[in-house]
Amino acid sequence: MDRNLFAVLILVYLELSMRAGTSPVCPSGQAGCHVPSLADLFNRVIQQSSRVHAISSDLHSEFEQYFFPSKNFLGKGKCHTYGIMTPADKENAQRLGRDQLTEVILRLLGAWEDPLSQLYHSMSQDQNQDFNHYSSNKALEISDMVHELRDGVTKVAEKMKLLGVLGNYVGYTIPETLPPSSAFYFNKKGEVTSMDHLVLLYCFRRDSNKVKNYLRILKCTTLPVLDC
Amino acid sequence: MRRDLRLALLLLLSAALESNSMSPPGKPVLLGCRSPEKETFTCWWEPGPDGGLPTTHRLYYERERLEGIHECPDYQSAGKNSCFFDKNHTSIWVDYFLTVVAFNDLGNATSDPLKMDVMEIVKPDPPENVTLLVKDIEDSPHLHVGWQRPQNTDTESGWVTIKYKLRVKQENNKKWKEYMSGTQTHFSLYSVSPGVEYSVQVRCRLDHGFWSEWSNTSHVKIPDYLQDKRPFGILVSTLCVITFIATMCILVMKRKYLKKCFLPPVPGPKITGVDFTLLKSGPTEDAINSLNQNFPLMVAWKDQMEDYLIVTENDIGLEPHPFISQKRKNRSMFSSSGFCFHSEIQSQDSRLSLNEQEKAGKRNHEIQQFVKSNKSLSGTSLSNIEQTQQCSHKQQGTIINFGITEATQQSRSHHDNTVKPLTDSGYVDIRRHEENTEEVDVKTLQYSRVKEMNSDNTLILEKENVSRPGYMDVQRQENTEGYSRVKEVEGDSMIIVQKQILSSDTYYKETGLTGFSKVGVCAELDSGYVDTIPVTHLM
Repeated sequence: MDRNLFAVLILVYLELSMRAGTSPVCPSGQAGCHVPSLADLFNRVIQQSSRVHAISSDLHSEFEQYFFPSKNFLGKGKCHTYGIMTPADKENAQRLGRDQLTEVILRLLGAWEDPLSQLYHSMSQDQNQDFNHYSSNKALEISDMVHELRDGVTKVAEKMKLLGVLGNYVGYTIPETLPPSSAFYFNKKGEVTSMDHLVLLYCFRRDSNKVKNYLRILKCTTLPVLDC
Repeated sequence: MRRDLRLALLLLLSAALESNSMSPPGKPVLLGCRSPEKETFTCWWEPGPDGGLPTTHRLYYERERLEGIHECPDYQSAGKNSCFFDKNHTSIWVDYFLTVVAFNDLGNATSDPLKMDVMEIVKPDPPENVTLLVKDIEDSPHLHVGWQRPQNTDTESGWVTIKYKLRVKQENNKKWKEYMSGTQTHFSLYSVSPGVEYSVQVRCRLDHGFWSEWSNTSHVKIPDYLQDKRPFGILVSTLCVITFIATMCILVMKRKYLKKCFLPPVPGPKITGVDFTLLKSGPTEDAINSLNQNFPLMVAWKDQMEDYLIVTENDIGLEPHPFISQKRKNRSMFSSSGFCFHSEIQSQDSRLSLNEQEKAGKRNHEIQQFVKSNKSLSGTSLSNIEQTQQCSHKQQGTIINFGITEATQQSRSHHDNTVKPLTDSGYVDIRRHEENTEEVDVKTLQYSRVKEMNSDNTLILEKENVSRPGYMDVQRQENTEGYSRVKEVEGDSMIIVQKQILSSDTYYKETGLTGFSKVGVCAELDSGYVDTIPVTHLM
C-alpha cells in the first residue's frame, strides 16, 4: 500500500509540474537543464496562438452553418472586449511599441478565459442536445489552450524583461474595467441562446486573430531575424 | 385634320416611347471584396439593367468604430464597377457594411448590403518568377523549383505568413500532383524521369486565408542522361548474353561427360563366367547351358582343390578329347575349369565362323601356354586353381562346353588344325583321382588299356594302372581308318564311343613321349561336337 501511495504521489507531482503547456523553464539556469531561448519561446507561443485561432474558426463556421445558414448575418453586436484599444492595422501596431503591444496581448487573453469556460459549461448543459460532443470538446480544448497561451506570453514577457527589451511594469497595470462577460453574452435570465454562442464565437475568432498577429509583430520587432 | 394630328402625335409618342424605354436603374449586386495583402482591399459589384439612361454607381459604407456613412474613396484604381480601399481607409478586425447605389435620371436602386471583415477576405496574388532548374547530383537528376513571394506582401515585419503549394504534371499525363512547401520559396522534386517534360505551377495563401490563383505554368524538359550510358549498357549486356550462350553450348556438348562425372553409372550385378549378352537375347539353349555350366563351375571351384584337367596331345595322334577325370569320391570336373573355350562353339549345328576360328587359335595358344606351365609346375596342387582362375579371368563368360556329342561333319571341315581321330581300339587315357584329393600329380595319371570293343560303340577298358606322363596311346585298328569319339564312359571300364567316320585327311601325329605338343584338342573341341554333359551323368 505504501508503495502504491508513493507511486501515486510521484505521478501527481509530475502531472502538476507539467501542467503548463510549454516545457518547464529552468530557474536560474541549472546544469543539464535546457533553457529555451527567446526565439524558441516566441515560436512556441506563436504556434499556440495559431492553433487557437484555427480551432476558433472551425467552431464558428460550424455554428454558423448549423444554426444560421444565411451567411450575410447583419448583427451589429459588439464584443465584450470592445473596450480594449487594439491597433487595427500594421502601421498602428508597429507604432504602438513593444510594451504596449505586450500589454494588449495579455489583456486580450485575460479577457477571454472566463467566457470560454462558461461557453463550455453552457454547451455541455444544453438541454436541446444541439451541440455534438465534437463541438463541446473543442470548446473545452479552447479554454485550456487559451490558458496555456496566456502563461506562455507571460513567460515571454518575463524573458524580455530579463533581456531588457521590455519595461518592468508590463503586465502589472490595472486592467480596464470590462463588463462581466457573463452579463454580456448570456442574458440575466440564465438562458443561453444559440445566438449568444454565435456572437461569442465570432468575437473570439477575431480576438484570437489579433493575438496571433500582434505576437508576430512583437517577435519580428524584438528579434532581428531575417526570415521573419 | 385633328384626327390626323392626333394620330401623328400618338404615333410619335409611341415611337419615342418604344425606342427609349427609360426606367430607373435595376438593382446592382455586390459581388465581393478581396484583400491581397491584408492592408488594402477592393470590392466589386455588378450593375443591374441601366434603364436606358446613363447610370452611375456609388458605393457607400459604414464601419464599426466609425461614425457616419462614407463613400468609396477610389473608383478607378481597381477598374470598372469596383471600389478600392487604400491603407488609410482599411482597418482590420472591424466590420464593414457596404452598399452600392445605381443612379440615373429616373431613379436609383440600392443593392443588398454586404458585411465583411478584412480578416476574412484575404486572398494573395500568385507567386512570381517561378524558375525551374534541373540539378544533377551524383547522376540522379532532380528538379529544383524556385519562386518569389508576391511583391505586395510584407513578411519582414511579420504581418503576414505565407505558405506555398506547388503542383507538377508530366507532359503526357493529365493529372497534377501537389506538394506542400510551407514557408520556403523553393522545392526540390526528386522523382523525375529523364527525357520527360514537366509543367509546374505554384500558389500561396496568407495565414488561414484563401488560396491564390495558380501561377503561370513553367515548363522544363529533363535531359536524357542515359544517352551517354546507353552504349556502355548495351555492350555489357551483349557480353553477358554471349557468355551465357557459350556456357550453355559447352554444357550441352559435354553433357555426356558431365553425366558421367556427376551421375556415374551404377554398376550392375556381375556374375563371373556368365555373359549377360547371351541372356539378353532371350532364353536360348546356349545361355541356359552356359548358366548350367557355370554354376557347377562355381560350386566345383570351391572344393575343387584337386580337380583339374589336363589336355594332352597324343603323340600317336590320339585323343583329341580332353581327359575326363574321374573322381572317386566326388565328381569329375569338367574342363571348363581348366579350359577356356569359346562359348559360341557348342551348338550342335553350329558352324564356326572365321572369328571363332581365330578365337580358337588364340585360345589354343593360351591353353598351350598354361598347359606348359602346368607341366613345369608338376606337383603343385594349386596350379589348377590358378589356372582356373587365370582362365576365368582371361576369358570371362566363356563357357566351356565339351563332352561328347554327335559331331557334325561340316564343322570339321573348317579346321585346318589337326584333328586327331580316335581309333576304335587302343588306349584311352582316363585320368583318375587319387585317394588324396589334395594334390593332383601329373605323374599319377592312370591309363587304361582298351581291352576290346564290343558292338560298334563301346570300348571296354582294361583296368590297370599305367602311369605315364600324360599321353595317350591309341592303337589303330586295322580295319578302320577313321576315329571315334568317346561318347560315354560307364563305370570304370566302359567307354561308349560314337561311331563316326571322319574325313581322312586328318591325322594324329605321333609325337612321342615328349608330352604335350599341340593342343589340338581345343580346335577339335571347337568343332562343335562336344556337348555339355553334367557331371552326374557320367557317373
